[in-house]
Amino acid sequence: MNLHFKNKKVTGILTVLPAHEVHFEDEMENYNSTIAKSLKLKAAMGFNKKRIVADGVTSADLCIAGLTHLFDNETLRMEDVDALIMVTQSPDYIMPPTSNVIQGYFGLKHDMICLDINQGCAGYIVGLIQAFMLLDQGAINKVVLMNADVLSPKVSKKDRNSNPLIGDGASITIVEKSTDNEEIFVSIKMNGEGAFALQIPAGGARLPSSPETAILKEDKNGNLRSENHLVMKGDEVFNFVQTEVPPLIEELYDYSKIGKDDVDFYMFHQPNKFMLNKLADRLGVERDKMPSNIVENFGNSSGVTIPLAITFNLGDKLCNQKYRLCLSGFGVGLTWAGMMIDMKDLSLCKIIYN
Amino acid sequence: MENFDVEIAEILEVDSVNMEDHLTSFDCWDSLTILSIIALASETYHVTISASDVNGAASVGGLKSLIQTKVK
Repeated sequence: MNLHFKNKKVTGILTVLPAHEVHFEDEMENYNSTIAKSLKLKAAMGFNKKRIVADGVTSADLCIAGLTHLFDNETLRMEDVDALIMVTQSPDYIMPPTSNVIQGYFGLKHDMICLDINQGCAGYIVGLIQAFMLLDQGAINKVVLMNADVLSPKVSKKDRNSNPLIGDGASITIVEKSTDNEEIFVSIKMNGEGAFALQIPAGGARLPSSPETAILKEDKNGNLRSENHLVMKGDEVFNFVQTEVPPLIEELYDYSKIGKDDVDFYMFHQPNKFMLNKLADRLGVERDKMPSNIVENFGNSSGVTIPLAITFNLGDKLCNQKYRLCLSGFGVGLTWAGMMIDMKDLSLCKIIYN
Repeated sequence: MENFDVEIAEILEVDSVNMEDHLTSFDCWDSLTILSIIALASETYHVTISASDVNGAASVGGLKSLIQTKVK
């Protein structure tokens, strides 16, 4: 499905990362594998350091730290927030929505919309689509898009398949009406038949958490995890990304009439270096136009890796230069999406550590 | 698939392979090896194989004919 938006712009991006850093080697002894094999995995996937929250810190805590920074620095005024979107798969509660909890924490005005969206690796793009749609309303001039995931507590430390890559993080993106006439193009697709390629089996209504769902079981590769843990079918996800993402980006080139060479940077979701480099090769994109340095420095924080790739690799440059970006997210859902968007003159584009 | 023997030997970290060699008998064999084979099939031969396809192929020769069948 192709979507088109006009007169909307991103005016600021803040990424909030946990201060605590974990090295791959620190956790290597948990894995049912030899040191040599683990180090080979590290090299192939680009694992190195990742950012993990302290016990008890939630997605809302990271967003509150980020919003506090924006309010304190007067980058954002509380009364200007007309909508607060929270994209997360790790909400603080099943009910109420985390966005409402955050609205209440700051005592924001009542004349606004709070909205939680359950989306993963493509969640940043789904969140931006929602923000643009809200901005079509006369009453809405400024949307604050929060994207946060704290999935480290949901991953088994003895799962070599997922634990090395998962990081925690949050991003806050300010989205506003614009008079620049600049256009934004999106291609997005979903396939619920692949919904269980990435999942946390227990904890919802279908399979409530119980002592039984907490029992660690060994898979055929020697990983130990329970039904309360995140589980990923690595081969299916790899094949899905290599098969579906390149044609989607081709469709986006056609739809937007923006060619491959017109794009300054490809800011893609960061599953791991292996998958991302193979994707860059298949798309015929030079690797220096598609940064793949997020997993090695911070871990994979789901949808947050897209704004993190922007803040880490471009940062201040986006405050005084214009770049044409091709964003793409792919994963949980299954969902895959691409977006052509110009960014310039951001009021801020940086990372803070909390 | 003339370079397959060389490509698979590289993934399996050996100088050369025999068609009857069992995949699980290689020292380096693990989930990363399986992913590397899936990536080889995808990148070089433009076919999609799953981890269970690879496990089911059992031997180097079995893997080669699996990919050959998909290519056709």
